[in-house]
Amino acid sequence: MKNHVEVATKPTLWLHRFAIFLAFLIVILLVAGALVTSNEAGDSVPDWPLSFGRWVIHSENFIANVRFEYSHRFIAGIVGFTTFLFALCIWFLDPRKWMKRLAVLAFFGVVAQAAIGGVRVLLPAYKAAIAVPHALIAQSFFALIVALAVFTSRGWFADHEEQADAGRPSLRRLALLTIGALLIQLVLGAGFRHGAWGVLPHVVGAVMVAALIIWTASVVLIRHQDSDLRRPAWSALFLVLVQIALGIFAYFARVAAKGDPQPLEPMISLTASHVVVGALTLAAMVVLTLRSYRLLAPTGDRVNNAAPDLAASRRATV
Amino acid sequence: MIRKLGLILLVVIVAAFMMVSCKPRKKGSGDDDEGTPKKAKYVSKADEGTISGVIKFDGTPPERKKIDMSQDANCVTSAGDKLSDDVLVDAGKLQNVFVYVTGGPADKFDFGTPTDAVVLDQSGCRYEPRVLGLQAGQTLKVMNSDKTTHNVHPSPSKNPEWNQVMTQNAAPLEKKFTKPETLIPVKCNQHPWMTAHIGVLAHPFFAVSGKDGSYSIKGLPPGEYTLIAYHETLGEKRQKLTVGAKESKTQDFSFSPKVAFIPTSLEVEPALVLP
Repeated sequence: MKNHVEVATKPTLWLHRFAIFLAFLIVILLVAGALVTSNEAGDSVPDWPLSFGRWVIHSENFIANVRFEYSHRFIAGIVGFTTFLFALCIWFLDPRKWMKRLAVLAFFGVVAQAAIGGVRVLLPAYKAAIAVPHALIAQSFFALIVALAVFTSRGWFADHEEQADAGRPSLRRLALLTIGALLIQLVLGAGFRHGAWGVLPHVVGAVMVAALIIWTASVVLIRHQDSDLRRPAWSALFLVLVQIALGIFAYFARVAAKGDPQPLEPMISLTASHVVVGALTLAAMVVLTLRSYRLLAPTGDRVNNAAPDLAASRRATV
Repeated sequence: MIRKLGLILLVVIVAAFMMVSCKPRKKGSGDDDEGTPKKAKYVSKADEGTISGVIKFDGTPPERKKIDMSQDANCVTSAGDKLSDDVLVDAGKLQNVFVYVTGGPADKFDFGTPTDAVVLDQSGCRYEPRVLGLQAGQTLKVMNSDKTTHNVHPSPSKNPEWNQVMTQNAAPLEKKFTKPETLIPVKCNQHPWMTAHIGVLAHPFFAVSGKDGSYSIKGLPPGEYTLIAYHETLGEKRQKLTVGAKESKTQDFSFSPKVAFIPTSLEVEPALVLP
């Protein structure tokens, strides 16, 4: 059955491009954050929000590990400001109420994330207890911006043929479960990286998450022909395989580097890449989950009543 | 669906915070003074003894690894050999082993707190000395002789943690650790190869092995002790011994190269393993 929904207006497409730009900035910020941890630079600038008592540090201070920590702060500032502008644009240009709420959440999310980062600097004794939520919120914030990019995309508004989410378990539930597992895996990975526990929980989590992603992607590829679902499924599948390979290499690089007097390559690049590919995997699963909720209706329900939240979104758009 | 995702995220954040916060802290062998009643002041009977010895290294010492100091031109010009110094062996003798006693009269009496400060300098982008000891409540004077900025960041488990910047020509920092703790790692997070270890004890019976591997602990009241020799990467050795009145006891220790790490358990323990 065809649903005829009005195609997105110009401002929404413009917002979509803005969201993609912001997501790209966040990837850069994630790289910068991962480099701080991999280089053990987290405490190299002991004050916050200023750095050595200044907003812009002297060039003579921009040395050694300070380069990583200060760059992370600087890029975070750019992301924070860009998120503020993006939230303002959504607030004034997007007619959907729930989008406005998500924009406010994104803004307060980035503010909270900056504050947690500051507390991490000011309370070094609670490094792991603060750094792990900091890592989790960073990737969740990235996922939220990716979600906003999906909600503002042309595909979200386009006409589509709604399909039944047939089979047990349903794709929607499976995808949601996989995202939950990915978030737990993020915590296990961040805990290992920040010295809260060993690698074993993260390895067990990796097996579980890989199995779930392979299962979810297989369900998509077997049951559905829609390219809007197949593309993120293929992406998640590809990324999880890259991620497993990076994880194995990063672990052995870390073992080999155990006696080194300082963090060195290839350990730094491998561990930082592992963090970023993990975030991209989460993003691919978020896209897949949102599209599955957008395109599929639960079995047994009438198609037009299939997704109340989406129906509401259409009403707001039309 | 967004509410479901939000709920999942909230649960994971709370669980993560609780899991990480509930992690028990590690404790060293010299850290047992907390909560004990006030000790009697030690009165010398002029019968104190001495423990001395040599710390040996059996086998081939590990190759000293090159340090990449290129991130800071000041370090490149001021540093010496630019090689790792965690395991320093000279003619089969091991340097920088922290040797101390526990038990016996060392834990029973109050030996007072020295008024002179123990100096930790930052020179050539290294900590000098790399291993040092002081008494709880004694002043630690941290200096920066380098023409670059450092940050001094001890990570104790029982004493308050602090992290302070020291620019070149900065006035010395004066700090105290009030609780016994062996050993407190100190790092400069700007120059990650810079590491020191500080042993904080309730008594003055400790020493650090010199270049020739020798150490000497003087003024020990007669009694039964456990002598501990701790090396930051090679681990620790223990020996029970009795020191008689005015006795000079000799106790050597031998350390071996660490067995290559085989990741059978898939566990990398990132934290320092304390004695």
